[in-house]
Amino acid sequence: MATVLIENLTKIYPPTLNHARQVQALGGLNMSITGNVFVAIVGPSGSGKTTLLNIVAGVERPTSGSVRALQEGVPAQIGYVFQEPRLLPWRTVVDNMLYVQDRKSDRSRREAEFYLQMVGLSEVADLYPSQLSAGMQQRVGIARAFLVNPDVLLLDEPFSHLDALTGRSLRDYLQRIWLQTRKTALFVTHDVTEAVELADRIIMLRPGGVAYDDIAITLPRPRRPADPAVRDVQDEVLRRFDAMGAAVRFGTAQAAR
Amino acid sequence: MSDIHAYQSLPGLRQHDSRPAAEGPLTMRGLLRRPWFIRLVAVGVLVFIWQWVTWVNTRVPGIDEIVRFMVTEMTGGSHGGALTGEFWEPLSLSLQRYAIGLAVGIPAGALLGLVIGASRWARGLFNDTVLVLLALPAVVWAFLASLWFGLSSAGPILAVILTAVPFVAVNLAAGVRNIDPGLVEMSRSYGVPAGRRLRHLLLGGTLPSAFTGLRLAFMTGWNSLLIVEWFGATSGVGWRARFWYDALRYPGFVAWIFLFVILITVFDRLLLSPLERRAFQWNQQPTLTFEEEL
Repeated sequence: MATVLIENLTKIYPPTLNHARQVQALGGLNMSITGNVFVAIVGPSGSGKTTLLNIVAGVERPTSGSVRALQEGVPAQIGYVFQEPRLLPWRTVVDNMLYVQDRKSDRSRREAEFYLQMVGLSEVADLYPSQLSAGMQQRVGIARAFLVNPDVLLLDEPFSHLDALTGRSLRDYLQRIWLQTRKTALFVTHDVTEAVELADRIIMLRPGGVAYDDIAITLPRPRRPADPAVRDVQDEVLRRFDAMGAAVRFGTAQAAR
Repeated sequence: MSDIHAYQSLPGLRQHDSRPAAEGPLTMRGLLRRPWFIRLVAVGVLVFIWQWVTWVNTRVPGIDEIVRFMVTEMTGGSHGGALTGEFWEPLSLSLQRYAIGLAVGIPAGALLGLVIGASRWARGLFNDTVLVLLALPAVVWAFLASLWFGLSSAGPILAVILTAVPFVAVNLAAGVRNIDPGLVEMSRSYGVPAGRRLRHLLLGGTLPSAFTGLRLAFMTGWNSLLIVEWFGATSGVGWRARFWYDALRYPGFVAWIFLFVILITVFDRLLLSPLERRAFQWNQQPTLTFEEEL
């Protein structure tokens, strides 16, 4: 069982040419995620969502505090789906998948093809990314993340660059694969509808990277945005968001809780 | 089938066919769109201008004179008096020097470029030196090489090396710096080992600028080789061109200069361009049509 333990995590970016002052992305964040749960991290721009995932993935270092992603006591294997597909343009789809795979064998290729099939792309294994649409490229990104058999799956707004219809289709794919694999997932989004549709738990962050609220969702899956129960939860999350917005505006975040 | 696919498959939705139309009969308008035809016209215009210049200025040798001269050189025939044709020896000597110079200069430039591109410290240390090398004209190397090595093969070889190194280094360093940071982050997050990153990410990411550097190294290396042979050698293509220039036999001089141009063009067309096409085939594939995507 995978565990992600985040303790007093702070990330402060030093001043740059664009920002004369230092920027606090995360301010003493504490979080504990255990088991095969799908957790959505929701917050407005500047709340440190992407920074949090980058630190969990080991791409960035925290200013202070610690992050431990463990599977049975050893460092967990991470699978990361980025906002953009991040595929090597000069490699074919299957080679892009095998690029992150340690083993190189016929079996690895079969596994890659299996995950491509799961995202509905079995026919494009030998094509180059430039031959695919943005939605198809993102599906390859999702398949690549599952190929490494991750203990912890990180998803950083994977649908934000896609049109509404393609985004909805990809959410279906993701939900289907996740239900089959049940990986511990951290899903960053600013879209409450997405969060309610996919997550077991929603953690709300406010600007400055401070946890504001933690909401458990116990609705049965698969969920559709049009379901009345899903809409009710969305309304509740949005109400709390509004409260957070007001609290942030008036500087009374703690009091508003 | 997901909802989106069902929507896209609705009867009555017609997709635009982006496949190229079948080639019809060749018209004048169609010909003007063909790159080979435009190239042919350009060569024809050049030949015409040349021929016209030879009519108005008798000191400019005609194309027929040049061809006759080169045939005599190649067959070892007589140019009059004690002068006989020499072709293969100067050519093979120059090609040898060129090959040795590039064999040393390209890997050295690639290594330097990778280091400069990857390390800020190395950039500070080597960047100015590389820019100085880049700015120095080949004729300076010719004089320096003659001073240092006399009239031997070392001068021309050194000139090729010193010309190739900065062109390859500068372009490769730019290629390394331009690698998409998102791809580097992706590789780090998946823990891709350094060896695989080097082979797949660095090599693939720097390939466009590496080709630019290679092409410039090939062209300018050949250029500087000829200049150094002209001023500081007693053999080779550059020396032979100067020999005929000093002997006031302009058809001979122009013939060897022509050979220089033809060789570099053939080299580019037969080796570099096909290699480049092969390396960039990923960028030349048609995008899937809407129907194929479904």
